[in-house]
Amino acid sequence: MESNVLKPILAVYVALFVLFLYGPFIVLGILSFQQGPEGGPQFPIIEWSTYWYRHLFGMVPPSRIAPLPVGEALIRSLILAFMTMVTATVLGVMAAQAFRRRFRGAGVVFYLIVLGMMVPGVLTGLGTSLLANNVLDIERHWYTTAFVAHVVYTFPFAFLVMLAILNRFDSSVEEASWSLGVSPIRTFRKVTFPLIFPGVLSAMLFAFTLSFDEFPRTLFASGRDQTLPLAIYGTFSVEIHPNIFAFGVMTTLFSFALLAVYGILMGLSVRRAKKMAMQEEIA
Amino acid sequence: MTIQTPAKEKTHTFRLLAPGVVWMILFLVAPIMMIVYVSFWTQTTFSINSTLTLDSWKNFFGSEAYVGALWTTVRLWLIVLALTFLIGYPAALYVGLLVKSKTVSTVLLVLCVIPFWTSFLIRVLAWRPMLGKEGAINILLQKAGIIDSPIEVLLFSELSVIIGMTQIYVVFMVGPIAFMLGRIDRNIIEAARDLGAGFGRIFWKIILPLSLPGVVVGAIFVSVMVLGEFATSGALSGRKVNLLGNIIVTQVGSLKWAMASVVGVILTILLGIVVAGFLRIVDLKREL
Repeated sequence: MESNVLKPILAVYVALFVLFLYGPFIVLGILSFQQGPEGGPQFPIIEWSTYWYRHLFGMVPPSRIAPLPVGEALIRSLILAFMTMVTATVLGVMAAQAFRRRFRGAGVVFYLIVLGMMVPGVLTGLGTSLLANNVLDIERHWYTTAFVAHVVYTFPFAFLVMLAILNRFDSSVEEASWSLGVSPIRTFRKVTFPLIFPGVLSAMLFAFTLSFDEFPRTLFASGRDQTLPLAIYGTFSVEIHPNIFAFGVMTTLFSFALLAVYGILMGLSVRRAKKMAMQEEIA
Repeated sequence: MTIQTPAKEKTHTFRLLAPGVVWMILFLVAPIMMIVYVSFWTQTTFSINSTLTLDSWKNFFGSEAYVGALWTTVRLWLIVLALTFLIGYPAALYVGLLVKSKTVSTVLLVLCVIPFWTSFLIRVLAWRPMLGKEGAINILLQKAGIIDSPIEVLLFSELSVIIGMTQIYVVFMVGPIAFMLGRIDRNIIEAARDLGAGFGRIFWKIILPLSLPGVVVGAIFVSVMVLGEFATSGALSGRKVNLLGNIIVTQVGSLKWAMASVVGVILTILLGIVVAGFLRIVDLKREL
């Protein structure tokens, strides 16, 4: 049988494919343990050391290589990602909630929202800064112009996640609550929200990570004060050192921590839902 | 009882939608209109004013460097699109169709997505120690005795940009294709096999046509991202490869807003043509 030959070949191919995806990052991880401060960003490893990690946290004596300017940038990025996360998720939940009913112009509104994730960052960034600079004549900041551009980008993701969740949502529980005389707002808080909570978490995760890593929009729309991706980009043009590799490993670990928190919260909410279902059965 | 009247329902929908729609109109539609408008403004050395003129447009099409950037963008886009398809399709075929167990297929997909939790810029940068003159690939090839002296065109060339972009964007091709392949009814393939069709025939007549919507969605994702790129080309080409995105960045850097806008409009038109073209191949609304 031909597919019996094909399957093992493709399995090997997929292994190579995954190596292609991970290869550069493995190399980067290895080189982050290069000896310092003389060791450069290439092979061979002169001597294994954690010098560049300590360099990152300012725990080594000053050398000719300046520490990465990431401290304040990191805090700005975290605040910006948080602001974006909250705004995008609220807008996303509201819009998806509205889409549960048919209304005129639904197609147009749908495409208007999805456009936000389809238009390249370089265009939204340019447009936003044009508007701020040449029409409104306001200064650009990461917490104003860059913030609105980030929400334009992440709101569609939150919206689509919520739409997928609400599509599978059984609205008879809501109707039961309404018919028992519970107000719509209270119904949303007590019935709908707990049920769609896993979706809300996913939307929040999307919005936070996308904003935290956002680069092209921020490059144009933020002013003097840099966010983290901008600080990293700034080191590109000059000579690179293994400290940026160490930094790459650290940010990846941070993302995984975030992912773990998401996983735990998700697990908790699923378990709570199960518990509630069991209680119902007993009752 | 709170049975909602149609009128009440309408205001309810309106209230839920208004904030998001207003946000998108103010911060997405208005900025894009702004790009079109400013592309006709008058640019002087230090400032810009709203007297309408075609000067920037004439400058763009009169300059070899700018028009060259347009063609470089189109060429690189086509190459990366072809590569992501050719490299991604077999992987998607395995993940979406050939793997019998749902768990294995999910694990493989998650494995493909994990790199996206690393900063985009770090992923671009990671290619430097890989491709450089003293990089991992050159060292491996030299140790294996395949080459005597390091290949220098690997880094800071068009090739390194193509490699970098293909690696970063190939997953956007794999995902949608694997999704469509996963939905194919296995009975159809079984039936074709029972009727004596070989794998080649099954692939061309059943698998490929049924996965086409996935290919189109993947191609749209990859196209939109590659056409708007500037960071990968900036970081991996040593400023030798200039895409439309790179021109916009340098023009804004020197406060040439009008020229940046012209390039922005051209990029928008290019994107519009590409996306509309793909949507003509497959009617996505019907297929998904």
